[in-house]
Formats: sequence, structure tokens, C-alpha cells
Amino acid sequence: MTIVDPQVSAEIFRLIAELADDWEYDGVITLDTLFLSDLGLESLDLVVLGTAIQHRYGKLPFSEFLAEIGQRPVDRRDLTVGELASYVSQQLAASPGGQSR
Amino acid sequence: MTVEALLIGVDGATFTVLDPLMARGVMPFLAELTARGTRAPLRTVMPPLTPPGWTSMMTGKRPGQHGVFDFFQKESVDSEYFRFTNSQDIQAATIWSLASDYDKSVIALNFPLMFPPPAVKGCIVPGGWMPWRQLRLGCHPDGLFDRLKTLPSFNPRELSLDMTLEAKAIEGCPEEEYADWIELHIRREERWFEIASYLMREEPAELVGVMFDGVDKLQHLCWRFVDPACQPLDPSPWEARITALCERYFRRLDEIIAELVAMAGPDALTVVGSDHGFGPTFDVFYLNSWLAQQGYLAWADEASGGISVEAQIGFTQMTRHISDLDWKKTLAYVATPSSSGIHIVAQDPAGGPLPTETRARITDELAAALAEVRRPDNGKLLVSEIHTRVDAFAGPFEQYAPDISVIFDGGTAVSILRSEELIRGRPLAQGGHRWEGVFVASGPAVRRGAAIDEVSITDVAPLLLYALDLPVPDDMSGVIPAAVFEDGQMARRPARSVTTAAAAPIPMGEDGAVLFDDEDEATILSRLRALGYVE
Repeated sequence: MTIVDPQVSAEIFRLIAELADDWEYDGVITLDTLFLSDLGLESLDLVVLGTAIQHRYGKLPFSEFLAEIGQRPVDRRDLTVGELASYVSQQLAASPGGQSR
Repeated sequence: MTVEALLIGVDGATFTVLDPLMARGVMPFLAELTARGTRAPLRTVMPPLTPPGWTSMMTGKRPGQHGVFDFFQKESVDSEYFRFTNSQDIQAATIWSLASDYDKSVIALNFPLMFPPPAVKGCIVPGGWMPWRQLRLGCHPDGLFDRLKTLPSFNPRELSLDMTLEAKAIEGCPEEEYADWIELHIRREERWFEIASYLMREEPAELVGVMFDGVDKLQHLCWRFVDPACQPLDPSPWEARITALCERYFRRLDEIIAELVAMAGPDALTVVGSDHGFGPTFDVFYLNSWLAQQGYLAWADEASGGISVEAQIGFTQMTRHISDLDWKKTLAYVATPSSSGIHIVAQDPAGGPLPTETRARITDELAAALAEVRRPDNGKLLVSEIHTRVDAFAGPFEQYAPDISVIFDGGTAVSILRSEELIRGRPLAQGGHRWEGVFVASGPAVRRGAAIDEVSITDVAPLLLYALDLPVPDDMSGVIPAAVFEDGQMARRPARSVTTAAAAPIPMGEDGAVLFDDEDEATILSRLRALGYVE
């Protein structure tokens, strides 16, 4: 079952919305929106986005998360907003304090 | 408010190129600025590279003291993972933060390692490998990006330098792309100038710094067109066109520098400086392949290591060592071609941490073996300088540095790729980094028409602080280069010093006190690449 902390998803939506206008992306961004295929991000963008998210939430083992994505079939090697929100939520829940920072 | 200090950074600039351009009237303003000021070769730090170079200029410290050694940093001292270096890896006060601490306003544009942006008093737009899609996040203060969007020529796509663009500079590109690539860099400098002039009008600051990095890029790719010693004697029409375009770049840069200096006004101390110098490179040495031949490195399998089919350094393969190497058999490796540094593993392949005495023995063995490497064509020694971590990077952060750093005779470039041949010639000369950059200072009390032997890159921060009438922290390596000033200046207005607390060494272990020590960017990138997730 996917568990998404509403505070985390709101924060990620806020971050993407803040940037998406600069990308001239005018589609609706939902939990199913894909970072690479839909938003047109590149690898370095994901890296820096990860920096920004970790700057907000602290240490998160992103490499394990993205490695799992990388092992998927080629046509599924992408990341949805929902997956990212779910992942961050789970990591924060598992961290000391067990809640959003 | 008037500008008290203006720093014009010119990435990779060298007098080898600038002097002929000044002499031929391509850069008349720089010639004038030099004539009314003081010039010197600017000696950079080890390694001669953008991130440590600019960080040393900003902090007045050497890499072992500020903690920045390369574009990529070891995740922790006992890790083989590398991540993108960012602003939070700078473990020292910068001229930007020091000026802010004394309530001076700053403008810092296009300098690397400024993301996430430090909370200074003033404005920051970061440079380096800052993707244009995220540039908003790097601008300080909040709201600055939206203000910049109102500028007539604002175009974040052309402001930021992405890795694809950088790769063209380093590894080359088809002839038909040269012209557009050079023209893009002319536009990039104009866009940075547009931001600089806007902020100097709207957000006056005592300390203004603008960095132009097109010089480095042009010199990497187009060295044979910008160095008179390498220019074609009987150029083809295409070569003549590219040479003219390079000249146009420098002519426009000169105009921009002139306008910036005029805007700063006659009371400002102006410093034009570069993070490292430049010279030609004619061949590539495959350092990881050499380590494999020596028995210190093992590739994971036959297909790993980015097998090289031509003289390339492996720019797009950086940090892939994680998946390319067999860690059960590897003792030493090179993670990036930029640092020319060999790292010895933290974990003994036999199990447990690598004993200190084993690390020392491997260091000695590698240094001795490298000193004997000779060019296959003429038998001459290949390596001109070998530095151990201790002698090159002494300081609280030295454990993040390579164990051995190598400088090659004649500027031979390092490749991290796999190759049967250890040295390959490049078909055409390219540009590579050298120790001596440029330093030109002009302004009140600066000697006119003087040339001094050498200034250290770590001396620039104390000089700028002096111009701001601020005390110089006593833990800086650099000192105010008094020879820049007229006789009696330092007596009339003595330098002031302030004691600062020593930086604490970063503790060993997973939770080392790095300000931002996550499963971070480079790790993500390397794993993504290794898994074919990204190109």
C-alpha cells in the first residue's frame, strides 16, 4: 500500500509547481506525472532536485531508491511525483521522530 | 553606496593567450587596465581545477583547509562513492560571507559551488553545473529569479552550463558545431553582463564579483585557434572562420570588462583573476588502465571501464568506477579525470578497513612506479610532479583528497577510461589546465604599469577584504600582496587582522559532520548511469 504524507506531497508539489513555470510546462501535475517523460527533466536535474529535497528534509538514501528504478525495464525507467512523495514519506516515517521534519 | 571591490573572474585565463590579444588590439581595455595597474601570474592550488581554484580565491585557503578538491567529492572519508560538490562542501568562510558579516552587500554571479545559495547580504546567481531548470532555486534572495526574468535578454537556458555543453569543450565536437558553440558562449557572457549591470544599478553592493567561464571552454576546445603558437599557418576557410569567431569572443569579453569597470567607478579596486592557467595538451594517459597493469585495479568485467576507442578522458563516465571496478580486487582507482588524483580504497578487499601502514605502502609504491613511467615514443619521463595527500593537502579536510596527485609533463591529460594503449596522441592540440592564471589589479593606490613575479590565488581574498577595509582572518593561507600597492600604502592604511576559530576536522564514519552528507547527487548520478537509467 502506498502511503503518502500529505505534508510531503504538498511540499513536493509546491517545489515542482515553483519550477514548472520556468520549464514552460503547462500541463496538470498529478501524482502520476513522470519527471523524465512528462516534465522533460534530465539526469542532472534529478540530481539537483534531490539536493533541494534533501536540503529540506535531511539525509535520505536516494541512491537505493533510484537504483531500484534503474533496474526496471527500459520503458518504465522513470519516476512519478507520487513515487517520490511516497518514498520521502516512508523514509521520514522510518527516521527518528517518525514524521515530517 | 559605491563599489569598493570588483572581482572579474575569467575562468582559465592565461597571459599566453591574453598578451597577444592585447598586443593586437583585440582586448584594448584589458591592455589599458594592465597599463594603469599591476599584473602578475596567479599561482593556483593543487589541483589546477575550477572548483578548488575558485574556492581558494573566495576563501584565501588551500583545498585541505576549505575541503573542495574536485567537481565531485567523496561522500565520506571512508566511502568510494562520490557526489557533486556543492556550496555546503565549502568548509570555510568566503569573501561573500565575510563581507556580509560586516554588513557589506555583495553581488556574486556565475561562481561555481554557490548552490544551495548561502544566505549572504546581497544577491547570488550560481554558476558551475547548475541546470537551468533549477536556476530559480539557486538565486538569492527569494524573488530574485522572477525579477531577472523581466530583463530583456534573460534566458536561463543560455545562462547555465550543462554537462552536455561542458562535454563538448572537453571531449570535442564535430566541426560543424564549433561556430554555434562559440557564439553561444558570446551570448552567455552577454547575459551574465546583463544581470550584473541590472543588479549593480538596482541592488548596489560594496563587493561585486562576476565570473565569465567562456574563456575556459573556448581554450579547451579551440586551443589551436587561440594560442598563436598553435594556430594553423595556412588556415582553411573553416579554420579562419573559427579563429575569427574566437577573436570575436575575446573582443566582446573585453568590452564587457570595460563596462563593468566603468560601472564600478574609479574608487573601486578592480581585480581580474583566473582560477588556473592554460596550455596545450597533445595526448592522454589512461591512469586507471595503468593502475590495472600495475595490479592495483581490476575491472568488473570485460565490458566495463568505458573502453576508449580514441583519445578521450571519460568526461561522461565520471564516478562510474562504482560499477566499473571489481572491488574485491581493487586497491587504487581514479574517479574523475579532472583531479588527476588516485584514491586508495578505504576498505581492504580482504575485509575490514585498510590498515594505515598498507595505505602508506601503496602510496609509496605508486609514487615510485609513476616516477618511472616513460613515453613510448621518445622514452622521456611522463610525470613531472607527484604529490602525496599529506604534502599537497595538509589541513583538516585532507582525508577527502586523493592519496596521490599527478602532474604530467607537457600537460598530458588523464583519462579514466579503459585502453590497451596507455598513452594516445590527440589528433589536434586541445587546451588543458596549468598552474599559472592571470592577475591584474587596478584602482586607488595600486602601482601603475607594474609587473610582479607571482601572486598566489589565496592572496586574492585578503586583497579584496583590504579593499573593503575589513580585517583579514588570521587562518587564511593567503596574505595581502603588498607589492600591488604604491610604496607607503600599507603604512598609511595598515592591514587589520582578526582571529578566527580553527575549523574542526571532519570526523570519520558514516555520520561525519559534513553539512550535507546525504546519499547525494553524484552517487545518484553514478548509479543511474551504471544502471542505464540516464544517459
